[in-house]
Formats: sequence, C-alpha cells, structure tokens
Amino acid sequence: MESLIWGYVYPNEVEIQWSILIVLYPYITGLVAGAFIASSLYHVFGKKEVKPVARFALLTALSFLLVATMPLLTHLGHPERGIEIMFTPHVTSAMSGFGYIYSFYLIVVVLEIWLSFREDIVKKAHNSKGWQELMYSALALFSYDISEKALHEDEKLAKKLAIIGIPSAAFLHGYVGFIFGGIKANPWWSTPLMPLIFLMSAIVSGIALLILLYIASMKIRKHAIDHKCLHSLAHYLWVFLIFDVTLEMLEIISMKYESLEEIDIINRLLSDKIATTFYGVQLTMGILIPFMLLLLVGIIKNRETLKMIMISISSVFVLIGVFAMRWNVVIGGQEISKSLSGTLTYVPVFFNQEGVLPAIIILIIPFIILRVVTYILPPWKDMEEEAAR
Amino acid sequence: MQPHLKKAFTLLALAIIAFIFVRSLVVPLSFGQYGWYRGDALGDIRNFPVEYAGSASCGEENCHTNIYSVWINGSHKTVNCETCHGPSGKHVNNIREMPGPVNDSRDYCGICHYKRVARPTTFPQIDPAVHGQDMQCTYCHNPHKPWFV
Amino acid sequence: MEVTRREFTKIGCKVIIGAAAGSAVIESVIIRGTGAENSPADEYDWNEHYWGYIVDTRICIGCGRCANACKRENDVPFDEPVYRTWVERYRTKLDGEVVIDSPNGSIDGFPDDIPPEEVKKAFYVPKICNHCDNPPCVQVCPVGATFETKDGVVLVDYKYCIGCRYCIQGCPYGARYFNTKKGTADKCTWCYHRITKGLLPACVQACPTGARKFGDLNDPDSIVNKILDTERINVLKPDLGTKPKVYYVGLDREVR
Repeated sequence: MESLIWGYVYPNEVEIQWSILIVLYPYITGLVAGAFIASSLYHVFGKKEVKPVARFALLTALSFLLVATMPLLTHLGHPERGIEIMFTPHVTSAMSGFGYIYSFYLIVVVLEIWLSFREDIVKKAHNSKGWQELMYSALALFSYDISEKALHEDEKLAKKLAIIGIPSAAFLHGYVGFIFGGIKANPWWSTPLMPLIFLMSAIVSGIALLILLYIASMKIRKHAIDHKCLHSLAHYLWVFLIFDVTLEMLEIISMKYESLEEIDIINRLLSDKIATTFYGVQLTMGILIPFMLLLLVGIIKNRETLKMIMISISSVFVLIGVFAMRWNVVIGGQEISKSLSGTLTYVPVFFNQEGVLPAIIILIIPFIILRVVTYILPPWKDMEEEAAR
Repeated sequence: MQPHLKKAFTLLALAIIAFIFVRSLVVPLSFGQYGWYRGDALGDIRNFPVEYAGSASCGEENCHTNIYSVWINGSHKTVNCETCHGPSGKHVNNIREMPGPVNDSRDYCGICHYKRVARPTTFPQIDPAVHGQDMQCTYCHNPHKPWFV
Repeated sequence: MEVTRREFTKIGCKVIIGAAAGSAVIESVIIRGTGAENSPADEYDWNEHYWGYIVDTRICIGCGRCANACKRENDVPFDEPVYRTWVERYRTKLDGEVVIDSPNGSIDGFPDDIPPEEVKKAFYVPKICNHCDNPPCVQVCPVGATFETKDGVVLVDYKYCIGCRYCIQGCPYGARYFNTKKGTADKCTWCYHRITKGLLPACVQACPTGARKFGDLNDPDSIVNKILDTERINVLKPDLGTKPKVYYVGLDREVR
C-alpha cells in the first residue's frame, strides 16, 4: 500500500472513498440528459431531420434514467436509509437535490413518452388479446380517445413538457457537476465551471450514444439508415464538442495561469497520476480525433458508408473520452491529498461491492431495459410507414 | 381537459399524497427538534461509555490513595494514570474488571523519553544506546515519582 | 470411578466459577451507580457552553498518547488506518526538503528514520477535527445526519447517516473517515459523552505535556480564553472560511 502513496497524505485519506461506481453515476446521468436534449431538438426546436430518433432518444433516456440510482445505492454504507434523501433533504447539500430533481425528471420523461406513444398504445390495445391487451389498456389508462383533437392537445402538452424538460435535464446534470464544483476542500474539483463542463460533456456523450444506438438498431433491423438524420446528429455532436473543449481548457488554463497554492499538486496530478487518461484519452481520443473526423464528415461529399464509419468511430471515442473525463474528475480529485503535499493511487478491484464487476453489470442493464421498452413501445413506427408508402 | 390526462394527473397526485403520508410516518419524531437533524442523536452520543475515567478516580476514597499521593507530587503528575495502566472506566465501575498489565519496557518509556529530533530540547530525553545500558528504566527511576527512587 | 488429579482441579475450578457467578448479587452492591451513562445528565445545559480547543505545537513531544487514547475511548477500529486525531511530524532536511509523516497516525509514537544530523528543523503538529463554526461537512450532508450542536460540537448521527461519504470529501482537513463497522461516516466528537459529564476529551487528558487544551469559550477565565488572549494564534486553512475552533500556537507555514 505504501508504494501507492507519494509524499504526505492525511492518515484518513489512505482509502479512496468514491470508487468506480461514482464515476459511473455522472456518466449515466450524463447520457440521460444528453439523450433527452437530443430528442428535444425535434420536440421543442422542431428540427425535422432528427425526427427519426426523437422517440427512440426518449426511450434511451428512460432506460438509463432507471439505472441512474443503482451505482449510488450500491455504494452507500446504508442503502436502506437512502430514501432519507427524499424525506429529509438538507437544502444546503448539492447531493440532496438528487431525490427531487431525479423524481421530477423521471415524471417529465415518463409523461413525455406516454404522450408521444399514446396513439400507438391505444391502437395496440385494440389490436391485441389476452395479457397484452390488458397491459396496453393499462398503459392507456383505459382511455382510448385518439381523435384528432385529443392528439393535438397531447402534442401541445408534450411540447410544454419538453420545454420544462430541457432545463430540468440541464439541472439534473448541472447539479451533478456542482456536487464536485462546490467542494472547496478539493482544489481539483472546486470551480464554478464544473456544472457547465459536466453539462456539455453530458450532451456530447448523450448524442454519441444515440448515434451508435441508432446505427446499431438499423443494422439489427436491416433497415436503411437515414443519413440526413445521422449527419444532423453528427453536426450537433461537433458543435457541442467545441463548447465542451473550450470549457475544459478554460478550467485547466486558468488554474495553471493563476498558480495558486495548490498548483504544485495539480501539476503532479496532471503530469503523473492522470496524464494518460487526461491528455491521452479525455482530450486527444475523446475530443481532438472526433472533432477532426466530424469536420471531415462535414467536408466530404457523398461516400455515405465512409462517413457513417467515421461518425461511428467518433461516437465511440467520444463515449470513451467522456468516461475518462468523469474518471479524471472523480478519481483524479481523490488521488491528490487535501494536505496538498502528497498523492495516492486508486486501484480498482474486480469482485467487490464497489468493484469493476458491479460497474459493468450496471452499465449493461440499461441496454436490456432499452431492448424491453422498445419491444413494448416500438419507436420506429412512423419511419416504417414512410418506407411502406 | 381530456379524460386520459385527468387520469394521468390523478395518478400523479395520488403518488404525491402517498409519499407525503409515508414520509409523515417514517421521519423520526425528534427530527428538526433543534435543527435539521434528529434531536435524539444527542442523547445517543452522550450515552457512549466512558473508557478513561481519569486519574482523579484512582485516588478517590479507599482506593489507590498511597500511590496517588506519591504520583501527584512528582513530575509525572501530568501523565494520566491510564496512559501507562490502560483505560480504567470498566474497573472504576466494577472493581472485578482489572485493567491490562503495565507496559514497563524501555521502548514504552522511550515513546516520550528517547531522544528525537522533533522534540522540544527542554524536554528530558535520553539516547537509548548509551543511557542505562539495557536495564529496565524502572530499575533506577520510579515511574510514579521520577528522578530518583 | 476414580477421580484423577486433573479432573479434580477441573471440578474445583467449576465450583469456583459457579460461586463467582452466584456472587453477582453482591457485585451489584460493589458496582457504582452509573446513572449518568444511562440517561444524559439533565443538569448539562448546552446553551451555557461553547467549546474551544488549543493546540500548542511548541510543546508537543510526539508521544502519540492522545491518538492512542482516542482510539480506545471511542471504539475507533484499532488496526485500520482511520483516526479521529493524529500527530504529524514535519522535518526540514539540510537541503531544504520538507518531509511530513504520521506513521500509523502516531498511535505508537514516532521512530527516528532520518539521521538527526541531516535535519535542521523539526516539530510535531497534533491534528483533530476543527469543529468549524462554518462546517463544510455539515453543509454537504444530504440528509441532516451530521450537525453542529449549540455548544459548538460537530457530531454524526450514526443511526441516520446513509454512508454516502460526501462529508469526507467535503472536509478540508481529512478529519472524517468511513467507519466500516458502522457503515457510516465517523469523526471526532470532542468526546461529547465526556465533556457533557464534566470530563475532558480523552486526548486532552492523555497529553502529558499540556500541548492540547480544551475549555469553554463562553467562560472568560477558561484555559482556552487565557491562551487566546495572550498568545499569537492561528487556525488551519483560514482562507477556506471554515472558522475552525481548534486554535494553534506556534503554527509553521508548512502546516496545512
């Protein structure tokens, strides 16, 4: 254990408190917020070109939202007391917002999904039998009004909800950034830019995930990819990458330029502890390469397959890069001692309550949920109709 | 409002009412008594057992009065009895519970008295390599009233 | 049946043990009343007190009896690297390099691992929870499981803490730790169970040189106020605005 420590760390700091599960938590909420914002590009801003993925994006957001609590609960010393965060939320704590912001957002997402799928649900309820009929009827709340007027009203409400949804998605992820940004004890975390950095990387990762899931779903269903939609998503990914990298660099540059008391330990963190994951994975692989590739996608004419491959590679790199960013914040911040005169090393364990295995399981679950949800509520219906026409 | 929306919002309202109801049952009564915390926690923490009863309790009444009067007049009077003899809380409450044996090794005395560079120079320190050979400190020094036996 | 000598002693032992057990009645007479431990002494009024703590780094000898007593008094896991209080050692070598350490939190004292002739300046600094007046750990607790009492002590409610460890991240002094036995955050209580009964915190009582002092800031004649009124004092990391109530005499610039 001694060799993992350099310099002096406070005796209580020897054990890293927040493990890989807490890296996963902002990563998953980031994917949720990003996917939701991608869907509101259509629902709120009326970007017709992303319509094919709009409903799918909502289901993606829901699938990841449902597991967002799992890394936290697994990590708690007393998971059975976790509900106290809802019963007696301490208002000065950034973390206490979790319960209510999460619940509010869950309600918004569920309502939004329900409204955009209600027509399909009612039709399914009419056309199915047995337990399926019961399930769809229950989902329709035993109201089967899908007249033009009713649907129009649904749409109006859905738009209002989506408008509420954007700030709450931003809030959901901004507050996660504030959990770290508001900790004055930790110089690597304490910056007002943190919520914005988290939000931008959330949007970036959400769009990247959506692109990959869209391509994968189309391949599985052996359906033609709507390249216009794909390029539009790639375009937004590129734009948000610029915001993301600007903020991330701003943080590092101002930290280095101001050179406060903690600069020595920050330099050691960046040049030694997280050099690879920060400069290599987060900045080069996660931002620079996708940025160049997407730029090429914008320039190259035709050659759709090549462009699709480039977009896919960019999206994979962005997802890995954003994970590295979460890692560098959560783990990096704990690898420097608050005595500012030492560092320690986090060694992930595999089989453990807070190990890599539960992290992998938690990361797989949303895809299973997504498979189930898309089976119950197929989001591709309108596209197939168009193809049939 | 459309009936399906009415139903949806009724469900939502019911869920919120159920939440408020459950909350009122589950939150401890003393929560918020003094601030945003469980007031009963204070009693819980104050009821922890006292392990170190303090030197004064050793010299009380008919207990260790002789050795106490020796100790209290010596230069080790600032060293609590329990620093060498171990926590006495249980023993004071129940004389059958004896504290553990005293560590009378040279190294134990050395925790305070071996020469160390970071110690204030005015504090009495010895170099264990040259002082008293390998004899036990208590051979020459009375731990209860040091300088001489 | 023949009774061997060994069996005879065995039986004899059992008889003695039995007699001892039977004397439990007599024992109850010997045992002193411990009423104060079963119900909080009602005569203690937390509005009358506001506790403060002084550390005089100039006279600390680094024996670590404070940290040792603390672990025993408060049932802190003895063999785990968790401490409610500890002592740090600062040594400036001839080449100017500062070596800081606190082996095992100082509960076994300090061995000299650098030859004294290579050290030009050295001193010990006891550390403990600062019981900040503006405690960041209380600020970040999401459920209200940690709080500052009216007499100025920051405590953890072990029956309410969810174990999220946000407070451990929020403490700039590394004074909090995770108690794996309890599954909650844990920290120094200034021995709240002792000070409310008129005793001193275990670390202060154990200190043989008086480097640690504890007293009531409300009482102008208390030892703490006497030192605050006469000595030049400082607190740790004053720039963070935590307003610590552990005051240091003779603090060096290297100490953070």
